[in-house]
Amino acid sequence: MTPISVVDIDYVALAPVIIVLVAAVIGVLLEAFLPEAARRSGQLLLTGSAVALAFLTVLIVAASRPFGPIAGGSLMLDGPGLFLQGLILLTSGTAILIMADRRVDPGGDAFAGRVSTLPGGEEEREVSRRGLMQTEVWPLMLFCIGGLLLFVTSNDLLTLFIALEILSLPLYLLVGMARRRRLLSQEAALKYFLMGALASAILLFGSALAYAYAGTIEFAGIAERISERTTANTLVIAAVALILVGLLFKIGAVPFGQWVPDVYQGAPTPVTGFMAAAVKVAAVGALLRVLYVPFGGMRWEWEPVLWIVASLTMLIGSLVALAQSDIKRMLAYSSIANAGFILIGVAAADQVGLSSVLFYLLAYSVATLAAFGIVTMVRVPTGEATSLEQWAGIGRRSPLLATAFSLILLSFAGIPLTAGFIAKFGVFTAAITAGALPLVIVGIVASAIAAALYVRIIVRMYFTDPVSASAGVASPSPLTVAGVGLGVALTVILGVFPQPVLNLVEQTSIFVR
Amino acid sequence: MTFLFWILATLSVIGGLGMLLSRKAVHSALWLALTMMCLAVLYVAQSAVFLGTVQVIVYTGAVMMLFLFVLMLIGVSAADSLRESIRGQRPVAVLVAVALGATLIAAVGNALDFSVGLQAANAEYGGNVQGLAALMFGRYLIAFEATAALLITAALGATILAHRERLFPRQDQRTRSVERFRSGVHPGQRPSPGVYARHNAVDVPALLPDGSAVPDSIPGPLRARGTVREIDATATEEVLDRLVGGAASDTGGER
Amino acid sequence: MTTTLLLLVLLAPALGAAVLLLGGRRTNAWGPLAAIGVMGAATAGALALFGAMLTRPAAERPVGVLLYEWLAVGDLRVPFGLYLDQLSMSFVLLITIVGTLIHVYSLGYMAHDPDRRLFFGYLNLFVAAMLLLVLADNYLLLYVGWEGVGLASYLLIGFYRRRASAATAAKKAFLINRVGDFGLSVAIMVMFTMIGAVTFSAVDAGIVAMPGWVPLVLGLLLLLAAAGKSAQFPLQAWLFDAMEGPTPVSALIHAATMVTAGVYLIVRSAAIYDLSETARTAVIVVGGISILFGAIVGSARDDIKKALAGSTMSQIGYMVLAAGLGPIGYVFAIFHLLTHGFFKANLFLGAGSVMHGMNDEVNMRRYGGLAWVMRLTFITFLIGYLAIIGVPPFAGFYSKDSIIEAALAHSWTAGIVAWLGAGLTAMYMTRMVMMTFLTKRRWQPDAHPHESPPVMIIPMALLALGSAVLGYLLVMNDAFEHWLEPVTGFVHEDPPLAMPIVYGITFGVVGLGVLIGVLANLHPAAEAPTRVNPLVRAARADLYGDAINEGLFMRPGQVLTAATVITDRRIVDGAVMAVADLSTGAGDQLRRVENGFVRSYSLALVAGAVIVLAALLLLRIA
Repeated sequence: MTPISVVDIDYVALAPVIIVLVAAVIGVLLEAFLPEAARRSGQLLLTGSAVALAFLTVLIVAASRPFGPIAGGSLMLDGPGLFLQGLILLTSGTAILIMADRRVDPGGDAFAGRVSTLPGGEEEREVSRRGLMQTEVWPLMLFCIGGLLLFVTSNDLLTLFIALEILSLPLYLLVGMARRRRLLSQEAALKYFLMGALASAILLFGSALAYAYAGTIEFAGIAERISERTTANTLVIAAVALILVGLLFKIGAVPFGQWVPDVYQGAPTPVTGFMAAAVKVAAVGALLRVLYVPFGGMRWEWEPVLWIVASLTMLIGSLVALAQSDIKRMLAYSSIANAGFILIGVAAADQVGLSSVLFYLLAYSVATLAAFGIVTMVRVPTGEATSLEQWAGIGRRSPLLATAFSLILLSFAGIPLTAGFIAKFGVFTAAITAGALPLVIVGIVASAIAAALYVRIIVRMYFTDPVSASAGVASPSPLTVAGVGLGVALTVILGVFPQPVLNLVEQTSIFVR
Repeated sequence: MTFLFWILATLSVIGGLGMLLSRKAVHSALWLALTMMCLAVLYVAQSAVFLGTVQVIVYTGAVMMLFLFVLMLIGVSAADSLRESIRGQRPVAVLVAVALGATLIAAVGNALDFSVGLQAANAEYGGNVQGLAALMFGRYLIAFEATAALLITAALGATILAHRERLFPRQDQRTRSVERFRSGVHPGQRPSPGVYARHNAVDVPALLPDGSAVPDSIPGPLRARGTVREIDATATEEVLDRLVGGAASDTGGER
Repeated sequence: MTTTLLLLVLLAPALGAAVLLLGGRRTNAWGPLAAIGVMGAATAGALALFGAMLTRPAAERPVGVLLYEWLAVGDLRVPFGLYLDQLSMSFVLLITIVGTLIHVYSLGYMAHDPDRRLFFGYLNLFVAAMLLLVLADNYLLLYVGWEGVGLASYLLIGFYRRRASAATAAKKAFLINRVGDFGLSVAIMVMFTMIGAVTFSAVDAGIVAMPGWVPLVLGLLLLLAAAGKSAQFPLQAWLFDAMEGPTPVSALIHAATMVTAGVYLIVRSAAIYDLSETARTAVIVVGGISILFGAIVGSARDDIKKALAGSTMSQIGYMVLAAGLGPIGYVFAIFHLLTHGFFKANLFLGAGSVMHGMNDEVNMRRYGGLAWVMRLTFITFLIGYLAIIGVPPFAGFYSKDSIIEAALAHSWTAGIVAWLGAGLTAMYMTRMVMMTFLTKRRWQPDAHPHESPPVMIIPMALLALGSAVLGYLLVMNDAFEHWLEPVTGFVHEDPPLAMPIVYGITFGVVGLGVLIGVLANLHPAAEAPTRVNPLVRAARADLYGDAINEGLFMRPGQVLTAATVITDRRIVDGAVMAVADLSTGAGDQLRRVENGFVRSYSLALVAGAVIVLAALLLLRIA
């Protein structure tokens, strides 16, 4: 009889996750014990400092800790994991800046004052009259960030699943908490929840099949079992297929991403930005690890599937985006199309592919956050001006904002000297080296389609005269300006001087098995 | 063992199908309970005693009962529309479900060529529960602890969605009646209309002791419609006389 | 020193653009002058570079400057490097000098536009991007400039926001250019895959060892790119619509510089084309068709700017044709490019001056007799006219004649096309001069033509001077051939006919063209002749005593031109718009799938899962 052994946990290596989750718990306690008036500032201080501290800790861990499994093997400390953790914290921090803004909306921040009140009811009016705010969003954000940090470093299927749930549950809530257009927001939350539950079930089913095949859920163990296989075993095929579907759902790839436009449209805009940036980063990170580490030996099987999914995602994302009249839905489809471009790099399945995906994620996520940050500022009296028609002539009223938005759109379109160009170029070259020229051609066609889309919006901003229903631009707080400014600045800097970051992703892009 | 498996397997599949096909939500919940019970027995039969017990206590006991309570409280009835409004959804759904089943069976069916000794696994730490404990507090400690975050999130979420603060001062009987008197409207019951036996006459106003009509005694809608009857003075006299005359002997002249 | 000067040339316009575009209204007052100032600085820098280059022996003239390593992906290293050789020097001079003159001209032309500052900002942006395009030392950086000039061109075509047609034109230019850009980006990908490098020097060195299909494919892809940017057949449709932009833009971007980027690309890729006869033939075919197509459209349009656009397409066709001839033609392609840059900018500015005086009227049928009202404009225009039809000693004579000789040396077909083009050019240019300046006045009642201010006339005069003397200057002692030979190589081949005969035929054709042009346009109608009722119109023409003229020359010309215009409108426009509609339509159809119902989404999710699962299983079995 073996005695129960105590696992040795390297708390320093685990510190980023611990800091964020402990801060979340403290946040819940603040809700209970702080008076209403002090809650918002207290929560902001706590959330901001936790994320900043966690980011610093990631740097310290990266510099000081040896790579390898930590926490008994549940998590893996390696280059891509740390890069993604850092990126998640960076984007989350930016999203928090935009979320904290309470100046663009005269009613308060982007969230309903009290989510439990009925939309349009007497109580809701009273809440907004008193200027109440639902400060629980901050602990929820922290829980979600904690889940994201775990998600990209998980080293077995169980931890992966639990991390997925930790990050998803707060998102389901946050999506339904918009201050304006609450019914749309609540509907989006319910849809996301139902679809997310289904996708989780599929992922879990796949994990169970993987266990049945390998007798273990640890990534290294599965990889070993696959490498030593002698006969064809269809069990592992089913496992790969279902796990792939579960993760592609979170990324929003076609045909698993139909929820994306509805949810992105309904959610409070800063949350949409957070989902499109940080959550997508984490989902791609987890997909990379799962495909490269445990199922790396089955590359020849999953690669064609990714080819098809990537092509469909790019083409359909770009095409449908053309037909949109709502800016948030348009950005949602554009994020779907971007997911397709990212999948090109994933399908390359080597170190160059991995580093190109990491760079793409950085370029894409900062630009996306800034884009949604800008959307929060363009307003009509009833809320954000999400209809594209209302964006007519914005370039005349607010040249700086329009310039910033144009830069981001040009980056999405992959116009040179922006981060988006280097990113697309990176994934395309990676895919070509891996022999995926057809995929690249589809990619170039899709980006040509998408470019027409983005240019159409630039035209709308500069070359169309304002209509009577046109939106105004709210003066944002310095927080939003900082968040959006960071995104735009990185978009340009990464386009002109990409080399330091390219070096960084190249150095970090090796998974420890 | 095999015999037991086939019985329970059949039952649990029947339970699942029953859950899907029942028209009443309560029936669905009961079918689901059946499936869960079958699973619990299967777990126990395969020496996973702890899992079996937890299955019964948590799922069948707590979760299912919660379902039923909720169903009873919010009263989902069979009258709710189950008509499918999307064209082709049902047949395609059935097709996809069958295809999923078929592919999964094809994938899983020809591959179950090994089994890990459960006895050995249980024996390693001296029992099923001990074995689970060793995993949960050992190798999977982080995963286990992380679920705490999940629970807190769930609790926090439930609070946010369901908890209503008192935004307005509490209303009790006293505050309400004070408010009513303050508001200046007629505080008590209004006089009832003068219902005479001549016809069903809610449209005739009540009379004050001096014989004048009380307009408020007529229901609002009738007043709005303008179908209020005037009181004929002679008729009033006549009725009055008859009442006074007839009642005087009984009540001492009280009207 | 060279590095500093290069950076000055490149960064001065970029700085100007940044200040003007981001500075907001504060810069309204002095912005345009600042824009001209930075252009002046860039020109000074370019001249200094040119002077320095001349002092060095031919072999040491090219300079490379590595600013920094732009990106390194895998084995591919792309420098952010500039490369100045005789070829890029020629372009830099053209861009800065013509650019500065047009900036000055715009000061007068755009004087009353409230968005002047934006206009100058976009112009500076364009110049910066164009300079980057010609100074890049690798294809990827060239692509940056390529996209940049496309963007600036797009912004400037759509500059008149209140015109719906301007926005449509901008969109069309953008869409068609994407087709060309697609060619360039795929070409870069192919270079990377096969050669493993994208710098000019590495590609030139590496292409030699490649299997035969690589230069062919690269050549065709680069030709596609060049056709898109230079408005060559079959991607020419956008150029005519691009005339919606302000006239200085048409002069600078859609005549002198940007549209010649395609020629630059082909000449720059000489090493690739030298290896593939087929690709070169394709270039010649595209160039030849464009010469005729552009000339025919040029004679059909009554809109003076669109007629000039047709002429641009045709003249660039000459350059492309020359570039396709290989080492015997590269030098002449660039030679013609330079002279054309001057005389076409001159003609466009003249047209702009006319429009400026005529309430922005562009229909030549509403002009007439302006020679006596706008004397200076007429003189400068006339010099441009003589240059373009190739009258010695004006610039166009030397450059076009060289191309005709080289084309004849290559094949009879190419030579005859070149001759035909020369004749047509003479015809439509004569028509333009006749209808605009000489024939009787057909002005609208509210037209009060007047001469343009000196700020517009002086640039025109300087350009006219260039149109007059540049050809002779460059051809003296074969100066240009020697100048460019180290870069592109030069082989002289004699045409199959004796030189006097070649000259004779050329002059004959041109003379015939002028004659037809004069005769056919002695009495132009104020309204475009309608084709619906030819009898009435023939009668009307009879009434004017012009029947023969009309019947002999106008009719066949009109049928031919109508046919090409219809081809252009129906097929090319149709194709472009169909692609746009198709994508939008497909998007609309696909959007329906997004019906908002969770059960439908779940169905798609599970169906997707089944397909993935089944595909993986099938792959395993197979």
